[in-house]
Amino acid sequence: MATTRTALSRGALALYAVAAVTAAAAASSSFFLWARGASAGLAIAASLPPSLLLGIIALASRFLSNALPLRSASRSSIAIGHAGSAAAASGLWVLMWKSWVPALNQQFAAHLAPDYSLLFGLGVVLYIAAVAVHYLVLEIEALREAEDEVLRYRVLAREAELRAFKAQVDPHFLFNSLNAVASMCGSRPLEAREMAHRLADFFRLILRLGALERITLAEEIDLVQRYLAIEQVRFGERLTTHINVDEGAARCMVPPLLLQPLVENAVRHGVASMVEGGTIDITATLEDHMLRIVIDNPADPDRADARGEGIGIENARGRLSAVSEGRAMLQAAEAEGQFRVVIELPR
Amino acid sequence: MIRVVIVDDELPARELLREFLAADEDCEIVAECANGFEAVKAVAQHDPDLLLLDIQMPKLDGFEVLELLDRSPIVVFVTAHDEHALRAFEVHALDYLLKPLSHERFQQVMERVKRAAGHDRQPVAGLATSLRAKPLQRIVVRGEDGAIQVVPVSRLDYIEAADDAILLATSGTKLRKQQPLSEIASQLDPDRFVRIHRAYVVNIERIEKIELYAKDSRVAILRDGTRLPVSRSGYQRLKELL
Repeated sequence: MATTRTALSRGALALYAVAAVTAAAAASSSFFLWARGASAGLAIAASLPPSLLLGIIALASRFLSNALPLRSASRSSIAIGHAGSAAAASGLWVLMWKSWVPALNQQFAAHLAPDYSLLFGLGVVLYIAAVAVHYLVLEIEALREAEDEVLRYRVLAREAELRAFKAQVDPHFLFNSLNAVASMCGSRPLEAREMAHRLADFFRLILRLGALERITLAEEIDLVQRYLAIEQVRFGERLTTHINVDEGAARCMVPPLLLQPLVENAVRHGVASMVEGGTIDITATLEDHMLRIVIDNPADPDRADARGEGIGIENARGRLSAVSEGRAMLQAAEAEGQFRVVIELPR
Repeated sequence: MIRVVIVDDELPARELLREFLAADEDCEIVAECANGFEAVKAVAQHDPDLLLLDIQMPKLDGFEVLELLDRSPIVVFVTAHDEHALRAFEVHALDYLLKPLSHERFQQVMERVKRAAGHDRQPVAGLATSLRAKPLQRIVVRGEDGAIQVVPVSRLDYIEAADDAILLATSGTKLRKQQPLSEIASQLDPDRFVRIHRAYVVNIERIEKIELYAKDSRVAILRDGTRLPVSRSGYQRLKELL
């Protein structure tokens, strides 16, 4: 869509440029002839063909402007290139005058002869003006493309956000947790009530944090701990967690819900895949302005479906690169029954 | 009396089933299992009437458990994943229960179970095998000593037909499984496994090269040096894929 629009406006602009330069040349030169004593009809008839020629040459100067862009070409090559072509264009325009006016009116041509140098100057001025307009158009186009680019990145970032948010709330986590609540209602009603509150608090926090641009790592870790506390009820002794976040790291800003889906992966595809369960290890350190977060968990190398994990990790990677303009890194690796995700985010 | 085995890897989920079953005086729990291995063992040992079976479990999932059973209790799936529900009927489970469990729905299902108990049932194992999710990701094998092995298909080098059974070749060892080659060939990912011969299905990632052996007869040489015959139609299938 965008390219079609640009192509159309380029064609239109080219026509306008020919028309504008032709009109300016015709108007100024016929006024000049009229001031020199030509009749109005003669002045217009004499000036139109050379003006049209200059208009077309001025349009062609667009190619030269394209070839000598303001941003990258050297100043001397721009100056020399356009000065040379201005002289050549204006020479052609004067030549046209010299051959066309005598054909029209011999007497007046003789009268006009001393003024060709003036016409030459006029040609140079109009040509340079056309070049200036070309550069202006080029700059406007570059600006618009840059804006489109920024817009495209914003849309991509927004899409990544939406995908990530959808990925947060795994409905099966809710169903299984509610089943645990239902189970405890009979024998342990107080614990059931406690679990219901934990679930409500967790979902409230997801909604609140998900609406923010950035949160501290401490807030994200709090969310993760609430999530793990709920899973703890379901998995019991099979799930243990170690969380170690140093003080500097806790104050760092991160996109919300960055770790939550990764920790959910660590439970669903990691600890839950092990008969005897295992430990989820989360450490975060800040060193030399680099925030480093590592999530470690055991995983059965023979587990059935590894597809869901890949999506979660791709989402996290997309969001990280959107918020850090590509400076952050996320690596996921699996070896000897351990799954490890490493995130590095410059502060 | 309906003799029941409960299988779920989460303790609260087992507790809830236990509570519901305790309220039903026609039922008796003979075993509680926290994973698929225990389930296969418990069914062999107790020969229950009813198996309440979770689907997502470590090591062996509910479908794999069914495949390994040599007895056929009535099966009711208990799961939070309702996309599994359809497949539950395909493997001829009697019914399914969605988490969080409702007592009312549980009672309805138990009524169905009681009506079905005593009637002859089709063995679930064969049906489970033929209607599993495709493509197959893991193959479960039960050895002669009863030990269960799980082989991810990515670890397979090739599969060889041996009478009415198959041999699964993985880095030098061969596991025997009672299943026709054509059946397993139809369940594997067709982009990764090719039937190169009447008696061989090969993992194409393991193929080093194909050599002409005699006129119209070729041989596939695997990375580990194994040589497998390639029939003319097998060669056609390979060419189409590569």
